[in-house]
Amino acid sequence: MDEWQFFQSQVFPSLMKGFKVSISLILPSAFLGVCIGIWAGSMRVYGSTWLRKLVDAYVAIFRGTPLVVQLFFWYFGLPHVGIYLSPFAASVVGFSLCSGAYQSEYVRGALLSIKKGQMLAAQALGFSKWQMLRSVILPQALRRALPGCGNEIIYLIKYSSLAYMVTCIEMTGEAKILASHYFKYTEVFLAVGAFYLVLVSLAGWFLHHLEGRLSIPGFEHHGK
Amino acid sequence: MENDPILRIEDIKKAYRAREILKGISLSISKGELKVLIGPSGGGKSTLLQCINFLVMPDGGDVWLEGRKVNPHRKRELYGYRQQVGMIFQDFNLFDHLSALQNVQIALLRVKGMDKKSARERAVAELERVGLGKHIDHYPAQLSGGQKQRVSIARALAMDPKVMLLDEPTSALDPELIGEVLAVIKNLVANGMTMIMATHQISFSSAFATEIIFMEDGLIVEQGPPSKILSSAECARTKEFCSKIYDLHGEGN
Repeated sequence: MDEWQFFQSQVFPSLMKGFKVSISLILPSAFLGVCIGIWAGSMRVYGSTWLRKLVDAYVAIFRGTPLVVQLFFWYFGLPHVGIYLSPFAASVVGFSLCSGAYQSEYVRGALLSIKKGQMLAAQALGFSKWQMLRSVILPQALRRALPGCGNEIIYLIKYSSLAYMVTCIEMTGEAKILASHYFKYTEVFLAVGAFYLVLVSLAGWFLHHLEGRLSIPGFEHHGK
Repeated sequence: MENDPILRIEDIKKAYRAREILKGISLSISKGELKVLIGPSGGGKSTLLQCINFLVMPDGGDVWLEGRKVNPHRKRELYGYRQQVGMIFQDFNLFDHLSALQNVQIALLRVKGMDKKSARERAVAELERVGLGKHIDHYPAQLSGGQKQRVSIARALAMDPKVMLLDEPTSALDPELIGEVLAVIKNLVANGMTMIMATHQISFSSAFATEIIFMEDGLIVEQGPPSKILSSAECARTKEFCSKIYDLHGEGN
């Protein structure tokens, strides 16, 4: 009964506080990550040579270095050149840019899978390259990229737990403080795990729903 | 004025690496004419049609539309030119994520900047014209090959093209679906559409073409009215090809 008391009076309130911070990190980061990913993926396929190389370099750096290192750079590194980000801002910047790099890879793959005939038809009607990308290629490619992009959002939910490394106290941060204060690591982190599981399940349900909403004949799933 | 060519191409050349696909093709077409390109596969018919609207950039040669030379390296000019030249592909190339109606209206909205209401009206009218008034909300995956090709013709017509290029429009169709597409093309001929068409439909060509152009190895071997090309071709190779294609498709088609 003691345990239940402890959970009700200590764990739950703290984790709820952290949960709100986590959500406020995840939502903008997921949104920005997808936007950056769509842009970066498109540039890597349709951009001019130098832009393509530039974006390739961005992806290489942000996929090639640990996220913790990136967060440290935004929070502890930038002050050296006079730029001060709050823990929250540093985290969102770090998550968005890292997520965008991964998202761009899903988008790029989907763009490359669109049949050449779709582009020929658009060009033959007088579409410019960007009109074609916006009206013909991306609407098809994003439907194909959605499962992968959703997967990346699920990852993001979990790596948002790294924000506490730059003192942005979200759910995992609250848990760590609580657990070390009462020395109850197992109980507290089991609870945290359950919270993340709920979050991820919600996101999974939402993404599945979205796939259904966007499904059109010829683009539906072949399973089931 | 009547005989001024709408479209004229001169000395179009294209090579992929060392392989010359087009070795200098010139032709011109006046209003209301139907010119049919025939010849063996790999002879350059498809590449020629794609060079005419610069989907494939020719290595050399010029294109004039209504007496104005087209500069394909100026993007605005190129996009404007392409809007006036309709293209029909062998494998339809409908936009897979759009319904028949959306396929026809998307270029009206995005390229021509028409308002939604008039674009929709125009698109519905064009789909009715090709006999698909009842299928406007169907997606490509829900249409037969013949229906898809008719949507693609409606899509091209909605742009009010001055010339249409048709690249073997019936080659990917089941035999029983060819008729419905040819009927639509016949209708275009009757309404005075100017067209260049690559096809193996020899009886259709003999009935409706102004001129048949026999192409092989990137060159025009022979050209003339159907009666001449099909019965009394001067070149032995043309004769041989025509007789083979007759055997295959029969005269009754």
